[in-house]
Parts: sequence; C-alpha cells; structure tokens
Amino acid sequence: MEGDVASLGAGIAMGVGALGPGIGIGILAAGAMQSIGRNPEAVGLIQQNMILAIAFTEAIAIYALVVAIIIKFV
Amino acid sequence: MKLLKKPKILLAIILFGTLGIVGLAGGALGDAFGLGFLGAPIAALQLPAEPITSKPNIGSFHITNTMITTWATIVILLVMSFFATRKIKEVPSGFQNLFEVVIEYFQKLGVGVSGKRSAQFIPLVITIFLFIVLANWIGILPGFGTIGWIETPHEAIHHAEKKDKELSKVTLNIFDGSGNVGVLGFGSVSETVTAEEWEHDHDIVEDGKQAGILIPFLRSANTDINTTLAIALVAMFFVHFWALRSLGFFAHAKKYINIKQGPIWFAVGILELISEIARVISFTFRLFGNIFAGEVLLVAMAFLIPIIGIMPFLGIELFVGLVQAYIFSMLTLVFASVAGAAHDEH
Repeated sequence: MEGDVASLGAGIAMGVGALGPGIGIGILAAGAMQSIGRNPEAVGLIQQNMILAIAFTEAIAIYALVVAIIIKFV
Repeated sequence: MKLLKKPKILLAIILFGTLGIVGLAGGALGDAFGLGFLGAPIAALQLPAEPITSKPNIGSFHITNTMITTWATIVILLVMSFFATRKIKEVPSGFQNLFEVVIEYFQKLGVGVSGKRSAQFIPLVITIFLFIVLANWIGILPGFGTIGWIETPHEAIHHAEKKDKELSKVTLNIFDGSGNVGVLGFGSVSETVTAEEWEHDHDIVEDGKQAGILIPFLRSANTDINTTLAIALVAMFFVHFWALRSLGFFAHAKKYINIKQGPIWFAVGILELISEIARVISFTFRLFGNIFAGEVLLVAMAFLIPIIGIMPFLGIELFVGLVQAYIFSMLTLVFASVAGAAHDEH
C-alpha cells in the first residue's frame, strides 16, 4: 500500500468525525429556520442562540480535525 | 446573456479567467505537466510553533514566531485604543466609533444574558473578543508563513533524527543565494530534495543555491495551542472568580460537591466538576482547530493554485476569525452568568 497508515488514519478520523456534527448542525439550523418562520420578530434572539449551539456542535468536528492533524504530523 | 454585454462584468470575467488559468498552470497541478512557473513547494507545517532563531534566545528558551505575532497584536490593540480614547467626542468618529460599536453590542448582549451583573463581566469579554479577532485577521496578511529563516540541512536532519523520522521523508527546499533569510521562490515547485539524498551527496545542490527548510518568522497567534490554552485558562479562572465573589465559597463549592441531596446528585456534582475541565479543553481546541485548519487550508490552496485559489479561502478565514472570536467571548459571558447564578432547587 502506497503511503503509510498514518495518512489513512488521519483520513478516516476526519471523515467519520465530521458525520455527527454535520447532521447535528443540519438539525439545528432546520429548527432555527422553522422557528424564524413561525415568529419572524424573534429573529435576533433565535440567530444568536443558533450560533451558540452551532459552535458547540462544530467543536466536536474540530476535535476530530485536531486528532487527524496530530496523527498526520506528529 | 445580457449580463455578458456589460463591459465591467465581461472584464472581470476575463480577468479572473486568465488569472485562474495562469494560476492553475503555474501551480502544483501545472507542475505535473512541466509548467510550474509560479508555484513554490508546500511549506513545512508543524503543530508546535517554530523558534525564530536556531539558538535559544534567553537561557535555553526560544522565542517562537507565534509569540512575536501575539506581541504585535497587543501593540496594535494598544495603539488603536490610545487613538480611540485620545479626544473623546460626544458624537464619535474614527476609532472611537469602532470601539463604541463593539462595546455597545457586548453591553446589550451582556444585559440580555445576565442583567445587572454583566457590568463586571463585560471588560474581559470584550478584551477576549478584540484580541482574538485581531490576532486572527492579522494572520491572513501577506508575509505570514512565507518569509522566514532557512534552517540548514544539518539542523533539519538533527531534528528529524531526534524524532525518529525517516530521512527520506524530510524534504528540503532549495533557495537561491546563501543568506539566512529566504522566501520560497517562484517556480520552485519541484526544487525539493529529500534529506537522504542530500546526505548522500552534498553536491546535489548547485552552486549559488542552498538547501534547507523555511521556518517562517510570523505565524498566526492562535495556531499555537499555548495561546488558546492561555486565553481559555484566563476565561475560566475569571468565571470561577466572579462566581466565588458573588456567591461566596461554600455556596459555589456546594454546586460541585453536593453532599446533602443524595448519591445521585453527588455524582452530578462530580460530573459538573469534570465538565469545567472539559470547558477549558473545548475552548482551547475549538479556537486552535479552526484557526490552524484555516492556516493549513490556505497553505495547501496557495500550493495548488497560486494566484486565485486562495481568494475564497481568505474570505472564509475572515469570517471564521470573527465568528470564533464572537463564540469564545459569548461562551465566556454565558458561563460567567450561569456560574454566578445561585444553585437552583432541584
């Protein structure tokens, strides 16, 4: 096999690690869109809370990214 | 097709089209066809920050390139603040206006999240926001990661052997001239030599050129885990400091070591304690991961498609830098306001 197992590990770590947060952010954003549709006055409040929640879920993907980078470069 | 008849849009399309084709041909993709006249080999990225000189500076302590960027960010923030507060006018303009936008936004946010107690949180929150956003945005400027000093192959091999890396995997770039400071030059995409080849035969590098690894002088401040860890520790320290100050020691400690309500709530208390540590780690790695990944992405895109490949990613970097600063400061505010609230009755 060309290349070493470290590259494969990094690829799998990032790939699988991005599945969960991707779906999670999609669900979050869908919920936010629905509530904006129902209550357009609360856009500011919903937007701020949505961004906060998306930051939390995206952090999980970033953990996977850091693991992938560590596998590849260290 | 009426859009194409407007001269400005047509001009823009032609300009970006030619730049795109020139970039593609000149970069790494074109180099496979022998055309790599614009590109440079991919910069050597590593996770820890690199020192700016080969010998240690103070005792055995190296000054790293992220340290220099952090100091530069601090100096720029101080200068901006000085100019903003020099002659305070009733109707603001210039720097004062800029700072007032930020401060008013966070004050409104603070009052929305925690009411009157926000006045003690806001200074730290705004400082964290301004520092992180400025540090992230400075890291996109040209010159970051491209100008640096050349590490001689001896040192590079020495470092690689210390880490047990195979010498055939260490690539050395070839620089013109013989100075200490260099840039990865144009058209040098395939002018790399592995350390093993260099060791076998020093003459593989022509006269007038030298082999080495480029170590940049400047690197974005938040790509160093030390920086983000420091900011995270300061933020969580102050969260607990404010909670202790407003609740007193025992009321605050009772949230974590919860003896009176039974064994399940005791376990919940221990979990909360662990989650405090998890918050520090999460703060650190969220900011570090976003900015480091952005830097790796920029380097990779600049390697693949030199002139225009990097443009959309610079835009993304601007946005991500701002959002990450906003998230860090807002999470600090939220944690501070939650921690200072009295323990709810279950």
